[in-house]
Amino acid sequence: MHPIATGAPGDRLLLLGNEAIARGAIEAGVEVVAAYPGTPSSEIVEALLQVSTELGFYAEWSVNEKVSFELAVGAALTGVRSLATMKGAGLNVVMDMFLTLPYGGTRGGLVVVVADDPGAHYSSNEQDSRFAAQWAMIPCLEPESHQEAKDMTKFAFALSERLELPVVVRTATRLSHSSGVVKLGEVEASSLGPGFNKHWKLAYRWNVYGPPGPPAKHEWQLARLPMMDQESESLAFNELRRGSEPVAVVTCGTGAAYVREALRDLGLEDRLWLFKTGMVYPIPAEMSLEVLDQCDQILVVEEGDPLVESQLRVLAQGRGIDVEIRGQQIEAFLPRYGELNTQLVCDALVRLMGLSPGVDEARKEIKREVASLVIPRSSALCAGCSHLGTYWALRQAMGEQADAVHIANGDIGCYEQAGYGVKGEMPEPSDAPMAHHDSTILYDFLDTLYVMGSGVSMAQGQVRAGYTAGEVVAVAGDSTFFHACMPGLLNAVWNGTKLTFVVMDNFWTSMTGHQACPATGMTAVGQPAKTILIEDVARSLGVEFVEVVDPYDLRGTAGAIQRALAFEGVAVVVTRGECMLQILRRERRYREPYTVTDDCVVCGECVKLGCPAITFSEEEGAGIDQILCVGCDICAQLCPCGAIVPGEEAE
Amino acid sequence: MNQRRRPATNVVIAGVGGQGSILASHLLAQTALKEGLDVKLAETFGAATRGGSVMAHVRVGEVWAPTMREDEADVVLSMEPLEGLRVAVRFLKPGGWALLNTRPWYPVDVAVGRVQYPAVEHIVEGLGKLGASVVTLDATELALQAGNARAANTVMLGGLFALGVVDLSEQNLFRAMEERWPDRLVEVNRAAYDLGYQAVSVSLGDTT
Repeated sequence: MHPIATGAPGDRLLLLGNEAIARGAIEAGVEVVAAYPGTPSSEIVEALLQVSTELGFYAEWSVNEKVSFELAVGAALTGVRSLATMKGAGLNVVMDMFLTLPYGGTRGGLVVVVADDPGAHYSSNEQDSRFAAQWAMIPCLEPESHQEAKDMTKFAFALSERLELPVVVRTATRLSHSSGVVKLGEVEASSLGPGFNKHWKLAYRWNVYGPPGPPAKHEWQLARLPMMDQESESLAFNELRRGSEPVAVVTCGTGAAYVREALRDLGLEDRLWLFKTGMVYPIPAEMSLEVLDQCDQILVVEEGDPLVESQLRVLAQGRGIDVEIRGQQIEAFLPRYGELNTQLVCDALVRLMGLSPGVDEARKEIKREVASLVIPRSSALCAGCSHLGTYWALRQAMGEQADAVHIANGDIGCYEQAGYGVKGEMPEPSDAPMAHHDSTILYDFLDTLYVMGSGVSMAQGQVRAGYTAGEVVAVAGDSTFFHACMPGLLNAVWNGTKLTFVVMDNFWTSMTGHQACPATGMTAVGQPAKTILIEDVARSLGVEFVEVVDPYDLRGTAGAIQRALAFEGVAVVVTRGECMLQILRRERRYREPYTVTDDCVVCGECVKLGCPAITFSEEEGAGIDQILCVGCDICAQLCPCGAIVPGEEAE
Repeated sequence: MNQRRRPATNVVIAGVGGQGSILASHLLAQTALKEGLDVKLAETFGAATRGGSVMAHVRVGEVWAPTMREDEADVVLSMEPLEGLRVAVRFLKPGGWALLNTRPWYPVDVAVGRVQYPAVEHIVEGLGKLGASVVTLDATELALQAGNARAANTVMLGGLFALGVVDLSEQNLFRAMEERWPDRLVEVNRAAYDLGYQAVSVSLGDTT
């Protein structure tokens, strides 16, 4: 069993930030856990799923974040401690309930962990989700370290119960996906079990429309603000260290870790004030005012947008304190995009304190020279991935006529890599309103790519705009189909919008680490479950053209897509082939690798497939990496010379 | 047990997804934990499961941030030459060690003909210009000798310990291996470790 369950109080474990959060929930006696996978948040619930059965709490992967959050809310209203976790983008999917629930709050501790991704390592955007807590007027805690990730999560449940409000714990990639030493604490006993009272402390508590109605319930929530302020002020995670000079660094979360290193490296530890706030909304007003009063200059360091900084400015303005606040606003000392690091904090401190920058120009020059040797390593699908076949067939079916400008609308999953481009060369932008661009390789294929479920609906907008200069298609994967595409598909059927929608069913939520989804045939904890077939769902939504094909059969798949494109209505093609990584994990081996014969005429067609096992150069022609190749046969089918054949390379 | 305090040692482990660099970083971090040291381990990898650039920062001693600054790494250990250079340019301090597996893993960018993979000699030369002491070994070949190509990461850990920069005990590394693997795999990886240790000891002997 996972050490987060077997470890004893006092044990020191090396835990991922996400595992530390999971342990915090266990120590708080969490009883219901639900989430949709989303990097960098997934390991929280992955860890909890490994121990939920033994520890006797409920955990699941839900079909999307909205469902998981509302499920957790339902549980919390019965008085049991509940947890919903999500990536930043996932929070956007739950915003309706997120902004409404606080009007009546919660009874059992309800904690929402949001893992943001500054730097967009795994995400479509760099959003700072802490602002959602401010918008909803509920507390937001932000841990600095792995220890705090555990301790704050545990604390958040108790805080939620005291305030009768949901509490947000905000983490970010660097904490969630790094490991540190965590000392375990005691596990608290669970509640006495679920109970329900519709008029608990307030009439119609769990029904915003129940008398006296939403504005009165909003007023009830606003009356909690002073309690939140008090909790923020007395928070054990706050730290105020006074310095010898009237200059302060105000920080929070992972920003605090970078600040500590920067202060040490610059020898400023004793000179500057350090104020770390554990709660980033609301910040502790009295502590903040002491810093604002006593210091002339303040540098605010926070991961994301200026949330703490804005609150400090409001406090200073409100009390008429004249102090220079430096951060991301007005005169920026820190960038508003990308991820924080120690270097950026050092640079800001050097500027603030008027220190000599100590830049070694000669070294910078050497680095520039050596860096010119480094070539990019673009992201690629795996060798033998079924998406390779789907995309090849789709591109064949759409055709590459020079006078056509197709629009391929992408979606979120491994297959989004078909929009990642190849980094070695940047295309030249132009002002032309219409332009044909050859997609020489799979990774240049997708034309639009935003968020989960957006492709299938955007395609309808393009059709309704009267776009006829090329084919309009949308693609999505199985888990994304269930997460966010069903309403869009239904919309096309209902409104009679012609649409070709290709759904790549590989049975798993692969990109986030092969979690189960409705297409898998089992639940998150490995129990058998009904397999939901995408074709059945499509038909039940009224789709009249539905075909299911094998993406490893290029001709068959291209034929089905051609028929779909010709169909005057909504057409769904399901390409079904299990994720190759899962097959390889189970079977160890798929088939013997393929090889290239002397019949190769070095045309380069196979390179366009985008399979990482295919090597190619003008001098040496095509080749197949014998370690990476799984023998899927796709490249053999598309080679115009029949030069790719089964069998290992001759010695 | 209280944590021992000492100045930080910073190691970056780089490679291509699927080569075992992340696993190597976990073994190293667990070793430090067993010695009662504070340790932080930051993994960075892109969206793809395999084939992408992978980097892990292992920071042993008194540190707060999970990632290190530019020019702060005492050692860059890389499972792949290009990835070693990519990381060293940013993080390796002047006078630090670069420990490279010489077996290239060509990126898809090379196959589509947009860029050329730099010659390994040029990579080593570039590292030298950065002020690195470079040690190379064919870890993939040594791993095959030990009985499993996938043990290249423990070959490299053997090389790392032979450098003597990371002041951790072998015994704790072996214990970390034993906790992770069944006996059969521990045996292969112990053999791989020894081959890496010897190879690097020999090349250090050659240069002094």
